Amino acid sequence: MSRVKLPIGPQHPALKEPENFTITLDGERVVDVDIRIGYTHRGIEKLMESRTYTQNLYLVERICGICSYAHVVNFTQNVEEVLGIQISKRAEYIRTLFLELERLHSHFLWLGVAGHEIGFDTLFMYTWQDREIVQDLLEMISGNRVNYAMNTIGGVRRDVSEEHRKKVLEGMDYLEKRARYYKEVAINEKTILARAENVGILKPKDALKYSAVGPTVRASGITVDIRRDDPYASYTETPFDVITTDTCDVLGRVVVRVLEIFESIKIIRYLIEHLPAGEIVVKVPRKIPEGESISHTEAPRGEDFHYLRSNGTEKPERYKVRTPTLANLPAIGEMLKGTYLADVPIVVAAIDPCMGCMDRILLLKHGKEKPGEIIDGDRLRSYGIKWYAERGWKA
Amino acid sequence: MTTTEELILQVLRELPVQMKRDRRIFISVPKDDLLKTINILSSELNVQHLSTITARDTGSEIEILYHFLLKGVVITVRTACSRDDPTVDTIVNIFPGAVLYERELNDILGVVPKGHPDLKRLVLPDDWVGGYPLRKDWKPPQESEE
Repeated sequence: MSRVKLPIGPQHPALKEPENFTITLDGERVVDVDIRIGYTHRGIEKLMESRTYTQNLYLVERICGICSYAHVVNFTQNVEEVLGIQISKRAEYIRTLFLELERLHSHFLWLGVAGHEIGFDTLFMYTWQDREIVQDLLEMISGNRVNYAMNTIGGVRRDVSEEHRKKVLEGMDYLEKRARYYKEVAINEKTILARAENVGILKPKDALKYSAVGPTVRASGITVDIRRDDPYASYTETPFDVITTDTCDVLGRVVVRVLEIFESIKIIRYLIEHLPAGEIVVKVPRKIPEGESISHTEAPRGEDFHYLRSNGTEKPERYKVRTPTLANLPAIGEMLKGTYLADVPIVVAAIDPCMGCMDRILLLKHGKEKPGEIIDGDRLRSYGIKWYAERGWKA
Repeated sequence: MTTTEELILQVLRELPVQMKRDRRIFISVPKDDLLKTINILSSELNVQHLSTITARDTGSEIEILYHFLLKGVVITVRTACSRDDPTVDTIVNIFPGAVLYERELNDILGVVPKGHPDLKRLVLPDDWVGGYPLRKDWKPPQESEE
């Protein structure tokens, strides 16, 4: 049988975000994959060079809608390093608390998405319902469900009260019970095993070869965790285990994430019980000196890497962000080779992708453009600028 | 200093190494020595993880930073190429994980990694003709009047 090239995306019913996979098939088996991203590229790194550090604090948080806090922690850590300041213990604990609450809601979300991709929507309904517990806790402390706006250069903006601590511990008790149930389901449920076992294999040598990150490599038996290897915030004093499995398949990636939920709960309990007294924010100099700094965190999806180069002005000279999904993309090609076409969605979902990238071609059906006419990025941009200008906005 | 840091400084002692703080080591090399240096990291120190590649326009040249991770220590190899002839050897043959990062460099700053197996656009549109957005003299394309 001859080989068939099948384009999936950028717009496709099976995809949740715009990306393109050109899959070469031999019968039902995948033999090669070409991945194209960039459909929602927003130019944030360029934009940051024309914004002040305070403005960038808010921009960085909007890189991702799920692991927003990992980005903002990296940014504040970078600026604080260039300034040469040390934030208070209490602020470090609160940052770590938010990092782990974020991991909890992200892992619950992912478990639901994974269930959905294999047609197990009950799991999706259950986990997303439980995720609300975490969202409520985040909202209780910060006032926000998603972009918490907790950090400032020099510490955090909101304190954790006695009442908050009690509520967080109650929430952890409930979530631990639920997580025990999900562990049972993930290991024993036949529908999951049938779709996840021995699917999307990533051998340890390939995980290393492509510099993959996070739960994706830990499910291939590689013990890498930035929280343990290059500790930041209060991870030096917080007890937790790095979870790995050696099954190298989608099931392994499910198991790693489910077990990481227990570790996060353990960390959160420790933080709440040992929260040191003190100020939550230290005074920082207004002027950011010339310098450079690297900060990376273990975001829910893996290593999130930021680089700052400052030039002594109020705006950064260069700011670089590498999100975990980009690091894991080359490994997807390896995982997909030899799998069935029907398994492509779950294998892709197993890295927990979060595509941050710019729409370029759209079918417009209103305004001055002809219905159904395809317009390129430049004309779309001019159209947008004009649309806003007519409504009194300035570019 | 940890044993990993000591080992790194020992192996790289012939090179201009700077330890900026705990777990942050920088090495500056001319671009002709890039592959040699990265080979040392790979073969002698057994570095296996490339975190990413950063590049920036300094005004006079393009500075390129290769960030590696070894047991929690970030080792950054710093090199530079000229703005007019922005070529540098690809490191894909040593670190296959560099394949997308080098495509991104090419997109946003016009750096050409020599010997890259598949140098297509990554983040910018296929029909992009607006230049290299992260260069400091870059201006956004002007709005065309229709």
